[in-house]
Amino acid sequence: MTDYAFSFDQLSNYLILGAALMSLGMLGFLSRRNLIVMFLSAEMMLQGTALTLVSFSRFHGNWTGQVFTIVMLTVAASEAALALALILVLFNRNRSLDISLWQGLRESGLPESLDTDKAEPYVPLPGPESYPNLTPSGVEPPHPRQPWEQRRG
Amino acid sequence: MVESLIRNVWLIPLLPLLGGLIAFVGGRRLQGWNHLPVIAGIALSFLLSLTILLGTDGSETTQVYTWLNIDQTTASGDAAGDDLRDAALIVPIEFRVDGLTTMMLGMVTFVACLVAIFAAGYMAGDPGYPRFFFVFGMFVFSMTGLVLSSNFLLTYAFWEGVGVCSYLLIGFWYAKPEAAEAAKKAFLVNRIGDLGFAIALFLLWTYAPNHDLSYSNILTLDTRNILASTPLFLGQSALFWVVLLLFWAATAKSAQLPLYVWLPDAMEGPTPVSALIHAATMVTAGVYLLARSSLLLAAEPGLQAAVSTIGCATALLAALIALTQTDLKRVLAYSTVSQLGFMFMGLGAAVGHIAQFAVIAAVFHLFTHAFFKALLFLGSGSVMHAMGGVIDMRQFGGLRHRLPYTCWTFAIGALALCGLFPLAGFWSKDEILAALSAAGHDEGVRYAGLYLGIYWVATFTALLTAFYTGRAFFKTFWGPEKLPSPGGPHAIAEASHDPHVSSGGPAYGVDTPAPESSELSRYESAMGAHRSVPGASAAGPDAIPHRPADLPDPVASSTHEPVPQDHHGHGAGDHHGHDSHFGHESPPIMTVPLMVLAACAVLVGILFGPMTHWFAHHVEATPTFELLEHHEHEFDWATAITGTLAALIGLGLSMLMYARPSELPEKISGALRPLANASWNKFYVDEVYAMLVVAPTRLLATISRYFDVYVIDGLVKFVAFVPRLVGQDALRPLQNGLIQSYAVVTAMGIAALLILLMFVG
Repeated sequence: MTDYAFSFDQLSNYLILGAALMSLGMLGFLSRRNLIVMFLSAEMMLQGTALTLVSFSRFHGNWTGQVFTIVMLTVAASEAALALALILVLFNRNRSLDISLWQGLRESGLPESLDTDKAEPYVPLPGPESYPNLTPSGVEPPHPRQPWEQRRG
Repeated sequence: MVESLIRNVWLIPLLPLLGGLIAFVGGRRLQGWNHLPVIAGIALSFLLSLTILLGTDGSETTQVYTWLNIDQTTASGDAAGDDLRDAALIVPIEFRVDGLTTMMLGMVTFVACLVAIFAAGYMAGDPGYPRFFFVFGMFVFSMTGLVLSSNFLLTYAFWEGVGVCSYLLIGFWYAKPEAAEAAKKAFLVNRIGDLGFAIALFLLWTYAPNHDLSYSNILTLDTRNILASTPLFLGQSALFWVVLLLFWAATAKSAQLPLYVWLPDAMEGPTPVSALIHAATMVTAGVYLLARSSLLLAAEPGLQAAVSTIGCATALLAALIALTQTDLKRVLAYSTVSQLGFMFMGLGAAVGHIAQFAVIAAVFHLFTHAFFKALLFLGSGSVMHAMGGVIDMRQFGGLRHRLPYTCWTFAIGALALCGLFPLAGFWSKDEILAALSAAGHDEGVRYAGLYLGIYWVATFTALLTAFYTGRAFFKTFWGPEKLPSPGGPHAIAEASHDPHVSSGGPAYGVDTPAPESSELSRYESAMGAHRSVPGASAAGPDAIPHRPADLPDPVASSTHEPVPQDHHGHGAGDHHGHDSHFGHESPPIMTVPLMVLAACAVLVGILFGPMTHWFAHHVEATPTFELLEHHEHEFDWATAITGTLAALIGLGLSMLMYARPSELPEKISGALRPLANASWNKFYVDEVYAMLVVAPTRLLATISRYFDVYVIDGLVKFVAFVPRLVGQDALRPLQNGLIQSYAVVTAMGIAALLILLMFVG
């Protein structure tokens, strides 16, 4: 059932916006070397898709697209949590967010596609590192408490 | 008593097998007593056979077990209405007791028992002693099973069984190259014959009523008529082809032209094996098979003539070769081939009203031949034992004083083989000659002239038989005494008087060879190899004249304490220990079987032959033989006198030429140089086969090898190479580990898919 309040011209606007978001996101994902920016670009692609879904849903008067978008947002939220945690770990490894440092999963014997030595230099911020102290709860874990810094690989 | 025995007739094959298994499993733990279970098993089998032999007439079958049971209803499927398609194959393990079977059983177990006793002495101290008696027991199992089985397929199974045992025993000293080659040759030639048997079985299964392969179904006049009225191939009936293929199988097993070549080489095996398998029992399996199916054979006069002709040609050729051979065992081997030829002549002469008589004559010759040929072979084994493994007749002579028992028993065997009255060979050979003569003089027989010709050639062959037998006997036992020279390659005489060697090299048989190279000697000492070098190569002056006494002894170095340890090798053991046997008579364990067999060679002809008709009456009871034409047959004085004359002439000539040193043999062979050379070289049959059969086969094998290596292997390697090429050179660079390149490929893929979906289709 078509909702005539939401005309085809309006729909095309939404679709153009969604396609633009998607394309920009893809462009960003393919061209940027910073892990966090790549992640943001991926999120942008996701939002473009979600916008397209919602607008089609509205145009056709069918709720499925909107429900699906809600699900997609939920998944994207979990994914963001995971991805950020992974990025954090990667950063702890190399003190850098440059994607060129993470080409190790290639076939053996192949040269690196990006020059690692052109990666962004790591400039440590001055001053002591400070992380929020979470309120301890539950039972103390069996391992000896160690400062976070000393546990780095 | 007899009925329950017949019900449990499977005990007869089983007991020797059990004995053999005990001998094998017992191994060295039996400490050289491995022969006991085998001898006991065979002896018990003999007693059982004898009881059945004396207590039965007519035919009975007992089913032990169903081997194959492929029912028509379960296997036919939707092929209803098509006779050839319904596939029933029911093969019971069923044993049949009738005249022919009991006769064969008694003969096989009796001879096998004596040969086993002889072998206990002959093989003492051989490292392969348990193995020998295991295979021996297995052979007796197979042979008794062969003659007991009541259908063609079971016969075929046991037929293969004896073939395997023959192979194992010819190659018993497998480290000796000649023995290994001979075993291979025997096996391959027998395979050629077995192919014929197998095809005959297929034909019988296809065309016989009910697909029933049992003798009681196939060997009847009804089945014969059905087979004869089925046209098959080249305008001949199924019967023709079945009989031809069975005859083909028989020529391989019974060493007839053109497949006889394996038997002379089989003499590389231990002498008791030659006596038992390659003279007395196994080689008669072909004759047995043809005798068993003589009812089918009798319907094909053309094939009968062929059987007789082949037998005659074989007998003549083998006799001619035997004239000049100097290896005593080889002379006997060719004589075996020749005598088997006589049996085939008899089988082929089963025409007209003498059909039954001729078949029984052939079977009777089989029966008597087993005794005297086993006797002769064991005698030659005894000579070999005393001569330290030398079997070349040029190297010894005049042994009658040194080996009195061997000499006189050998003489009896030789006279029996010549066919002199009243020994066994006379009666049976005379019956065959009489059958041939009767066939030749019968007006109603289609190929009467041919049979008459065969009769005269057979008589001439009998003369040759007497001549070469006499030659072998006189060269070995008569004339001035001569022993293998101490300085020659067979210097056992010296060594056996040396106490150090006597105690130091205990595990070698007396036939332990003088090694030709250290490599070979190590093998042969490990094998306890006996030696029988045919003539020419024996007297190499560069051979090392020592026994391999200082070599590590495989038995002595083991932790077991074998009995022969403290005695001198060959004659050692608790039953007969003596210091030296070189040039001396063999121990009683070997001479007693000789004497028993000699007594048999004298008596079986008189006791069972035409004098009493006991044998004929017994074998006549075989159901299929009753269907053959039979009439009373008078004793034929003419053939008897002619045959005896031929034998006497042959013997007389040999005595003239060989009883004392004379110039005559050289003169005669000088005058007939090409013939003598051809005979000495076995008429170049082996060479011709090597050129006509072996060389093309080898060529084909070589071509196949190159085809395999370059074409087949190339294809396989190419198939393996393509994925490697694709993976390595095309796909590998794509896996660069950079997430963005993967994303590009994915995006482009999706884009291509979208374009495809939107604009194409």
